[in-house]
Parts: sequence; C-alpha cells; structure tokens
Amino acid sequence: MRVLPVVMAAVLACALVGAYVALGGTSYQPSPVADPCVARAVRPAADTAERLEHVLLAAADGTACELGVSREELVLALRSVDDLDALAAKTGKSQDELEAALRAGLVRAVDEGQREGLIGGTTAGSLHFAADHLPLGLLLSLLRGASSLFG
Amino acid sequence: MRTAAVGLGIGLALADSSVVTLALPDILRQFDVEIPEVAWVLTSYNLWLALAAVPAAYVARRRPVPAFVAGTLVFALASLACAVAPSFGVLVAARCVQALGGALLVCAALDLLTAVRGSEHGAVRIWALAGIVGAALGPAIGGILTETLGWESIFFAQAPLALLTLAGVVGLRVRPTVRPAGRPNVPANLALLLLSGALTAALFLLVLLLVDGWHMDPAVAGVVVTVMPVAAIVTASFAARLGTTATRAATGVVLVTGGLAALGVLPGSAWWWTVPPQALVGAGLGLALSALTERALHGRSPQAVHGGWTIAARHAGVVVGLLLLTPVFTTALDRNEERALRAGAAAVLDSGIPPLEKLAVAQDVLAIVRASDREVPDVREAFADRPATPEYRSLEDVLVSQLDRAVTAAFSRPFLLAALLAAAALVPIVVSRRAVSV
Repeated sequence: MRVLPVVMAAVLACALVGAYVALGGTSYQPSPVADPCVARAVRPAADTAERLEHVLLAAADGTACELGVSREELVLALRSVDDLDALAAKTGKSQDELEAALRAGLVRAVDEGQREGLIGGTTAGSLHFAADHLPLGLLLSLLRGASSLFG
Repeated sequence: MRTAAVGLGIGLALADSSVVTLALPDILRQFDVEIPEVAWVLTSYNLWLALAAVPAAYVARRRPVPAFVAGTLVFALASLACAVAPSFGVLVAARCVQALGGALLVCAALDLLTAVRGSEHGAVRIWALAGIVGAALGPAIGGILTETLGWESIFFAQAPLALLTLAGVVGLRVRPTVRPAGRPNVPANLALLLLSGALTAALFLLVLLLVDGWHMDPAVAGVVVTVMPVAAIVTASFAARLGTTATRAATGVVLVTGGLAALGVLPGSAWWWTVPPQALVGAGLGLALSALTERALHGRSPQAVHGGWTIAARHAGVVVGLLLLTPVFTTALDRNEERALRAGAAAVLDSGIPPLEKLAVAQDVLAIVRASDREVPDVREAFADRPATPEYRSLEDVLVSQLDRAVTAAFSRPFLLAALLAAAALVPIVVSRRAVSV
C-alpha cells in the first residue's frame, strides 16, 4: 500500500477541519444566556413603560438567580401555571417554594425600583399588593400585561 | 448500448437508496408522520436490499437474463405502486417489494456485464461506478423532481426508465454459473458496511439540513448536493493511478472522514460552507467504494454472489447509519430548540423595541414555534406586519441567526458520529492490506 496518497488525504482533511474550527465552527451555536446573578448593564429608561420593564426584568433576574435557572427560562415559564409547574419540577422545588420565590423576587425588585426612583409610590404599592395577595394565575396575567396597565 | 442499458438499471436500483431523501419533508407532511417514521421510506428499501441481495445473487447466477428481466419488472411495478400509494404503510410496503426487484436486477447485472464486456475486471469497474453515480446523483434528481412535479413523480419516472434497461438484454445469451461460491471477503465487506453507514449522513442529513434546516428550495438543494457525485465521478476517472485497491480505499476513507468532520463543525449556515466538505466526501466516495468493491470481488467467483455480498454490506451499512443517526439527530434537534428558545427570549428582552411590543413579538414567535410542530419555524413571519425600523430588523436578524445556529448545531453531532463510523472503516482495510494486493 502506498502511503503518500493517504498522507496527502489526511493533510487535506485536517486542513479543512482546522480552517472550519478556526472560523468558529465549534462555537456556531445558539448564544448562551447571561447569568441572572450577575448585574446587567441597563439602558437609560425613556418613559414609564421602560422604567416598569426594568423593574420586572430585575424581578425576573432575582428570582431566576434564587432558583438556579436563567432569566429566559423563568420568563418562558411565566406563560402559564402549567409551564411554571414544569419549571418547579425541573428545579426540584415544590410549587409553593417556586411561588414564594416569584412573589419575593417581585417585592424585592419593586422596593429597589422605588428606591432608585424608577417607579412611583402608587405603582409600587399596587405591585406590592399584587405580589402579596393575588392568586398565582392572576399574578402571572398581571405580569404579562403589566406594561399595558402601567405604561 | 447493452452496457449503458444495464448500467442504467444498476444506477436506478441503487439511486433508490437515496433518491427520496429530498422528498422526505413532502412525504412527512402528506402522510402526517414523524421524522423517525418517515426515515423508514429509506430504511425499508435499504434493509430489504441488504437482506435480499445474497439470495438474489444465488438465483441470478443460475439464470442471469431471466433474473434481470424479472427483477426489472418487479422494480418497475413496485415503483408505480409507490407513486400511487394511498397510505404511508402501503408506500413502505411497496418500497420493500421495489428493493426485492432491485436486488435481483443489480446482482444479475454483474454477470450480464461480464458477458457483454468479456472481462470480469472491466465488468466490476462499470458495475461499481454505475452504483456510485446512481447513489450519489439520487438526492439531486429526486429533489428536482419533487420540487417541479411532486415526490410521486420520482417513482412515476422510474418505471419507464427501468423498462428501458430491458433493451440491454434483448437477444443476449449468458451461460449460468454453477460452481460453488467461496467465502466472501469479510474485511472489504465490513469496510463497505461502515463507510456506507457514514455516507448516509452525507446524503440524508445534509439534504435535511439544507431544505428543512436552512429553508432552501429543494430544487436548489438538489443542485447544491451534486457537488458530491461530480467529485466522485471526477475522482473515479483517475483513481486507478493512485495505486492498489488498499491505497485507494484508505485514501477515500480518510477523505470521507475529513469531509464529514468538517460538516460537523460548519462555521455558518450558508450553503457554500457545505461545498468543500462535499467535495472531500465525493472524492472519497469515488475512491473508496469502487476500490472496496473491486477488493471484495477480486479472485472470487462467481461474481454475482460476491457482488451480492457487497450490495448486502453497503445497504446494511445504510440501515445501520439511519438507525444510529436518526435518534441522535432528533435528540440534538430537541435540545437545540430549547437553547434557541432561550437565546431568542434573551434577544427579545434585551432588544430596543418598545416594551409593550416585546410581549407581543415574543408571543407571536412562540406561536410560530408551537405551530411549526415538526418543522424548523420561519420566525420572519412574526415581523411581516411590524414596522421596518432598525430595532425590529435587528431583532428579526438576531432571532433568525439564533435559529440557524441551533439548527446547524443540531446536525453537528450526527455528522461527527458519521465521521467516526467512516474512520472505523480504516481498521478492516489496514488489517487486511497484505491479504490482497491488487
């Protein structure tokens, strides 16, 4: 068996694979999501809706950090109580623990938003009341529609 | 004339192992089946061809011409049955019958070519080349027919073409072979099995990636994947100058391995990224398949029986490839869909579009993802009625890019697994290199 053609084929194959790896072939994947426990750079808010959005995203970050999931996983789970139950199962938390984390995260973010002047006392009070007293299903509906209520 | 007609028959029967690859998305939709199920349109044909090849060869060596005629007629009639199949079950059953006819046709063709050419060596070369060209051109022809006339046209077109091959045996007399068949060349057939399993990835997964993953028009995808057969034909034309069958087989296997590995690390989601790997796979295909076939048949008689063993090995390899790679692919697709969804959610949340609109865009994108069911969603639909501001365009591009990345990444592991399968074919080639030196 002649070795030269085999070696030349191996060089050609390695060159192509090497070139593709160098061009980013091994990292051409969906972008990883940010760690919710690390503070994010926030754009300056232009209006009430954007300020409220900051508060809600901060609430999502805080809760996600506490649960050990990404903010995006939590936000996608907020679509319905069923999705939230699936997230509870995935994180090994009980439904009650997940609900408590969600409510606590919202309260923390509202307090912080009020301290930083992002939201006023009326909005903060309404969100506090919602976080403390509304049934989970209604609270999720409120979070999903919060921008339109307060924007 | 006789050589061309018989070669056409071989090409048709072996093209059928891959000809419906580009039609699978249409078949999947028409019969409302899942990806693992639709793969049976390919698997059933290859499985029955593998199982029937050796028994068919024993029949063919005793009466080559009647066997070729009978195989061709069964193949043609089963092709028509595939074209008019009222259900998925009937389609798969007709594919099984088609494979039985194909096995008889292909095995008998080897003895016919020997009689026509007057040389066993020349017959084997043409037989192997016709098979390679058929298998490699299959997806391209199938894709163009599917796009222009529908997937049924593939089978409608095959029937008259198959009957045309009968012109090659009119008045032909071939003496039956009655001497006992020796043992098959196990290393060469094992290498054929492993290599064919790996090549399944190149033909089946690449087409799925182009059409279903990157939303490429099937006819255009058909043209793109012709890089492989063109490279195979070009390489096969000067293959003999490279040296012994062991050298050609090992060189080909290394090229196929490299091409498949490169498909596993694509740095982008544009079709041109697939061209260099396809050229490598095609060149390797042209070198290795013909060399291994020659090696499996060298010094072995009767040719039809040992040809039957190579067909059995090749198509068993395709079945192994499909059974091995399909679940790996579907699992990777599910995992990457979740990752894409999270990356998409992050893109929406961090985008510069108005907060009120983020919820609406996210809901629209999720609705498209949910509605797409078994297909890769087209998220651009969510932006059709939205303002064409830079913020929206930027978000749209990011979402499309994340989806492209997820889809391409989902194909990575199966391609790399296929590369390993191809590399494994080197073992029997190297181990047996001293046994045969032709």
